Amino acid sequence: MEFIKNMEIKQLSHYMNEAKMIKPENHKNKIRIAFVGSFTLNGFEETMQVQCNDEKINCITYNSPYNQFNQEILNEDSNLYKFKPDLIFLIIDSRIILEDSFYFSNINSEDEKKKFTSKKFDEINNLIKIISKKSQSKIVITNFTIPTYTSLGIYESKIEYGTKEIILDLNKKLKVLSKNIDSCYVYDFNSFVTKFGEKNVIDYKKMYYGDIKINFDIIPHLIYEFLSYVKPILGLNKKCIVLDLDNTLWGNIIGEEGIEGIKIGPYPEGRSFVEFQKVIKSLSENGIILAINSKNNQKDAMKAINEHPHMILREQDFSCMKINWNDKISNMKEISNELNIGLDSIVFFDDDPVNRELIRMSMPEINTIELPEDPSTYAEILRNLNDFNTLKITKDDTERKKMYNQEQNRQKLESNTENLNEYLKKLDIKIKIKLDNKIAISRISQLILKTNQFNLTTKRYQEEQIKEFVEDETMIVGCSEVEDKFGENGITNVFIIKTKSNEWIIDTFLLSCRIMGRGIEEGIVGKILEIAKQKGIEKITATFIPTEKNKPAENFLKNYGFKKENENWVFLLKNKIKIPDHLQVELK
Amino acid sequence: MNEEKLFEIVSRVFNIPINEINYESNPENIENWDSFTGYVLLDEIEINFDVKLTMDESLEIEKIGDFINILKKKGINFE
Repeated sequence: MEFIKNMEIKQLSHYMNEAKMIKPENHKNKIRIAFVGSFTLNGFEETMQVQCNDEKINCITYNSPYNQFNQEILNEDSNLYKFKPDLIFLIIDSRIILEDSFYFSNINSEDEKKKFTSKKFDEINNLIKIISKKSQSKIVITNFTIPTYTSLGIYESKIEYGTKEIILDLNKKLKVLSKNIDSCYVYDFNSFVTKFGEKNVIDYKKMYYGDIKINFDIIPHLIYEFLSYVKPILGLNKKCIVLDLDNTLWGNIIGEEGIEGIKIGPYPEGRSFVEFQKVIKSLSENGIILAINSKNNQKDAMKAINEHPHMILREQDFSCMKINWNDKISNMKEISNELNIGLDSIVFFDDDPVNRELIRMSMPEINTIELPEDPSTYAEILRNLNDFNTLKITKDDTERKKMYNQEQNRQKLESNTENLNEYLKKLDIKIKIKLDNKIAISRISQLILKTNQFNLTTKRYQEEQIKEFVEDETMIVGCSEVEDKFGENGITNVFIIKTKSNEWIIDTFLLSCRIMGRGIEEGIVGKILEIAKQKGIEKITATFIPTEKNKPAENFLKNYGFKKENENWVFLLKNKIKIPDHLQVELK
Repeated sequence: MNEEKLFEIVSRVFNIPINEINYESNPENIENWDSFTGYVLLDEIEINFDVKLTMDESLEIEKIGDFINILKKKGINFE
């Protein structure tokens, strides 16, 4: 299969052998993954371990005993629950769930078939609900594949509720289920089989001798898709696409051929670039930030971006544009600084292998995509990346682009203002603090999973745990919305406090990188101290746990006036509490 | 040459040195050879020699020599 050769995915035997060589505990990111299935899932564990290890994730796996998914899920003491997974893949195939109806669905009346489907769905529904009660794990259930053959053949479309429709109905019900249970996701396995082809996925000989229902060379591709769930759980999904222009966003070189000479539009050489730009644009609508890093005359390039009739991406789609003759590395550094985005959150597209190698060598954290010479492959390569998935798309995600554009206006104001205090006053910053707000839980969890820089303890909690904290009377889960004269930043701070009778312990305190450097953290901590004081609390204890990335938060507690006490930082509430006077902080 | 190609596949699948492989190698004397890796081996042999074994042929295999006999029958030269 030509398609498979294009991707950096290897044969199953490679993963089986590599898995034995992985040294345990050598990565900071850790995840426990369980596979629960109705057929042989050998090879899944090893492939997942190795693909995770390649992404610098330490992955511990568990495979439920062959075809014992019911027992494993229903029995509270099963090894599945003892394993304490963070993520469970539940993989049940159409043949098992439909039993004889998979083959002989037409002997029954429509009514009987509907009853049967409902009964089958209830069984699955029950399993998912039990897992979500007994475990804090996220659950991914694969949907059911629609067989290409049915006994009615071409007549299938004329009858009500044939085999294909039964499966479509089950899949539709699964989707509703996953909308209702936060921790449950449906993986579209049917689309996966469509993508690779039923003939390639199923090898009947293997199915008969080993109950192997996914062919060996396909397993590594399925696991690659499963990583789409792993990355966002660990906050490793990418936030930004940095793009070259000539021969990347359009064909030809604008500086030489001019706006009339570049290739983009409804003709053979132009369509590749139109499609590629459309895929990029659709990602940006889900909150992925776009930037340009190109060696060009800015005037020529901007003319094409703004005026070419067939460009899909326009100036306002880019949150940062470095179009100049500087080297790509310094441009990349500036993009990362201006957007306040770590290099490890960036995916880079450039048609020039020399530039790619340059960035790979000097900035290995960036995911630099290997592009073949043929631009007709670009869109498909981008669609196949598993880096942009999120488990939730929040309002903040879809508005992020707007917020970054506001940030650019702020930076313009800053460069026009001589004194920092004067600048901060001009910003007119308002902070609204909310406590134990259930509506904000998904955004809170998102920030907890992905904030690296201004994060005192970098503790990662999943949404399910945060819900428990909100319910817990001895804990406070707070968040802050920040706005200024340029617009709203949304929820950009989270704190979690453990309360005792006369002491509050700050378990988590973080600030989104978007709003760093404006004294906002001092305003929020000041307000927390005031609230504590009103409640008769005497002292606040905080900790700073250093990581590779949280240097920006290193001196915060000390500078605010916390005093070091053993490993902790303590603030006695009899001392004066300060809130910077350029901030308006209120508790909602 | 084909013997070398076969032994290389066996070596890769079971993660053992080529010089430990011979016609008599079987699940008893190759630690990693279990029912699943046995299927993986069969799969890689089919892909690399561009042949398909029938169900019965697949089930008859007890040692590496059996693969060679079957591959010979399918016109692959092991001289």
